[in-house]
Amino acid sequence: MSDFNTETRTEGDIVIIKTSGYLNNVGGEQVSEVCYKEMDAGKKLFLLDLEDSKVVNSIGVSILIEIIEKLQDVDGRLGYYNLAPIVEKTFNIMGLTKYSTVFQSEEEALEGMS
Amino acid sequence: MHQGQTDQLEYYLSSLDELGEVLINADRARSVGSGILRLTLGTIMASKGAIFLYNNNENKLSFLSTKGVETEEPITPSKVLLSSFKKYKHDHALLVGDEKWITGRFKKYSTKLKTKAILPLYHKENLLGLLCVGEKFMGETYTKVDLKILEIIANHLTKALYNYQLIDDVEEKKTELNLKLLELETLFDISIAISSVLDVDELGEEVLWRSVGILNASKGLMLIQKESSPILEPGANFNWGGDMPLLSKKLATFKQIQETNKGVIFSSDTQSTIQKKLKEKNLILAPLKAKEKTQGYMMLCDKETRKGVQPFTDMDLDLLTALCNQAAVAMDNAKLFREITKEKQFNESILGSIATGVITLDTLGEIDSINTAGLNILKTDKEKVVGNHYMYLFEKDEEILELIMLSEAENETKSEQNISLRTVSEDTIINISVAPRIDPEGNKQGLVLAVEDISDVSKVKNTFKRYVSKQVVDELLDDDAKLNLGGEQREVTILFTDIRGFTSMSENMKPERVVTTLNEYFSDMIDIVFKNNGTLDKIIGDELMVLYGAPLSGSDDTNRAVQTAIEMQERIKQLNLERKKRKELPILVGAGINNGLVVSGNIGSRDMMDYTVIGDTVNVASRLCAAAGPGEILVSKTVYEEASATYSFSTLDPIRVKGKAKKVPVFLVKD
Repeated sequence: MSDFNTETRTEGDIVIIKTSGYLNNVGGEQVSEVCYKEMDAGKKLFLLDLEDSKVVNSIGVSILIEIIEKLQDVDGRLGYYNLAPIVEKTFNIMGLTKYSTVFQSEEEALEGMS
Repeated sequence: MHQGQTDQLEYYLSSLDELGEVLINADRARSVGSGILRLTLGTIMASKGAIFLYNNNENKLSFLSTKGVETEEPITPSKVLLSSFKKYKHDHALLVGDEKWITGRFKKYSTKLKTKAILPLYHKENLLGLLCVGEKFMGETYTKVDLKILEIIANHLTKALYNYQLIDDVEEKKTELNLKLLELETLFDISIAISSVLDVDELGEEVLWRSVGILNASKGLMLIQKESSPILEPGANFNWGGDMPLLSKKLATFKQIQETNKGVIFSSDTQSTIQKKLKEKNLILAPLKAKEKTQGYMMLCDKETRKGVQPFTDMDLDLLTALCNQAAVAMDNAKLFREITKEKQFNESILGSIATGVITLDTLGEIDSINTAGLNILKTDKEKVVGNHYMYLFEKDEEILELIMLSEAENETKSEQNISLRTVSEDTIINISVAPRIDPEGNKQGLVLAVEDISDVSKVKNTFKRYVSKQVVDELLDDDAKLNLGGEQREVTILFTDIRGFTSMSENMKPERVVTTLNEYFSDMIDIVFKNNGTLDKIIGDELMVLYGAPLSGSDDTNRAVQTAIEMQERIKQLNLERKKRKELPILVGAGINNGLVVSGNIGSRDMMDYTVIGDTVNVASRLCAAAGPGEILVSKTVYEEASATYSFSTLDPIRVKGKAKKVPVFLVKD
């Protein structure tokens, strides 16, 4: 596994960002860039498909927290799905899941975010 | 108090009321800063102002909020500035005049701000920040009331900032605790993996990924040490990219780790070979060591922070060492499991391919394994056998049960041969050995049964024992190569005997007497045949056909044929003496012997097949027998030539034999 990539698409008002690679400083910054660009365009609802990001570090988590804080300022929300158990555990421990939601599938996520 | 003063007082009171609301509603330091600055400037009627936050550790004044001027990079205050602020620490406002101690960037910024009042925000002895307010509207001077109001606001701002600092500290501690919890969870997960993940590669990958994540490394690689190789083989990798590095075991770094039994940290301050080889500045390496044996190393690069990469710390090394210790044990277990599985599969493949049935019993006597041959011999399925007690399996075989119990009681190997396995059928003949199973520590683990199905061998024995002596049967079974029953040309000596006048003699005898007579005669004759290792080919009525040299060849086949015939005639003389006593007619026998090439093999149909020989040699032997008078043994020329050195012969006139154009030379064995 090397490099970090994102693929972005929208489902109605929801922006879905599929990541692949290590969600660290580099990966987190890429995700935040995409989010802030979409936020500037008026988007408030974001979903991260983390199926291909099996490892996350605390720097990646802190960047996600920043994104959540910025979204809170505009009454926006962030959600995730397809999390590896270790990633979900990290999100739980780092308190991320108090301010954002983990879904089990894209279908559930789209329903939960609308 | 005149109306103007009353209005101003009301204005100030409403400002203080608003200050309460700002403090209550704001949920972060930044929002309280911006709210209070707005309120302050509005109350004092100033257009410019700033609130600074002071970071004691970094000695920096950063901007919490500004109005009327842009924020800038944090300012580093001079010592003089800081010590001068101390004079104003108890809610005193400094009215800025021409203070010489205000210098540097702070002075520049103050000038931009047109600062007129500075209120250092002290909580006890700690400077938390500064409230700076610019010129009042239209350049009016600050009144005592203005300053008092500023002091009240500054006092509340200090309390608020102190509270937010406390909250930030708690949040920071919480994050630190969460990270510690994450470290513990990771160690716990890996300890679980020790007993659950039994694939070495999968385990290596799992541990590496966890280590990279928990230590905020940018990438990682596991290096596997193999005794047979001078280089460290790259194992699991994460985010590594590019070519895998070729690292020698002999690199100083690895030697150092081996000698000190400790991991190492490299940073931009160090210049090691491994850093140069990998072109990496920040590295951390820890050994994967289990049972005093280094299995490899875990290597991570670049500790990430929001401000860029940093060197790893000693705490990181402690954590990585703990992870590696756990991982090494887990990987050692997984490797051991793989080896045991491989060995088990190897043993099972051997047990599965051998013809001997192997059944193992545990200490309770329950069957814990049986190989394919065992299942075939017992004609059963594994599901019906494994887990059951041996008494259930061999319930019809008392002999086997006794053997097992005896072996168990005496803790010795016991065996039985040629016994029927009645659990299957009476005809299933087996050899069985029962031996104690002893582990390397000498503890008894149960029993092992080795069962050999010898039904086919037994059939051979049973078949051949009718025709040849036990010695010949054993010799045949000992060496399959000697046994060619498929048909071949070979040299044999054939002996025929026939009772003279038996047909007419039996006409005057009761049928049962005929059978008794023949049985008595054949029993004695066959004993003599077997004694001389002859092969009883067939009994046709009162005629016997015996082979020497088939199915096994011997150097004295012809002599033994002659010897058999002589012994037969001698025995018949004795038999006739006994018959005379019983007032029975004598038995008179003629014998003929020939030697030559025949075709031998199993001849007959699939259901009825006998080993025999065919050919002209057989016919001549039969004719010689027919020509022999009572008590005579006639032999052909080939027999004579072979046996004349041992036996005495007299030459007779050649006789005509059916199927032969020329007369055949004949010799008579002399007494």
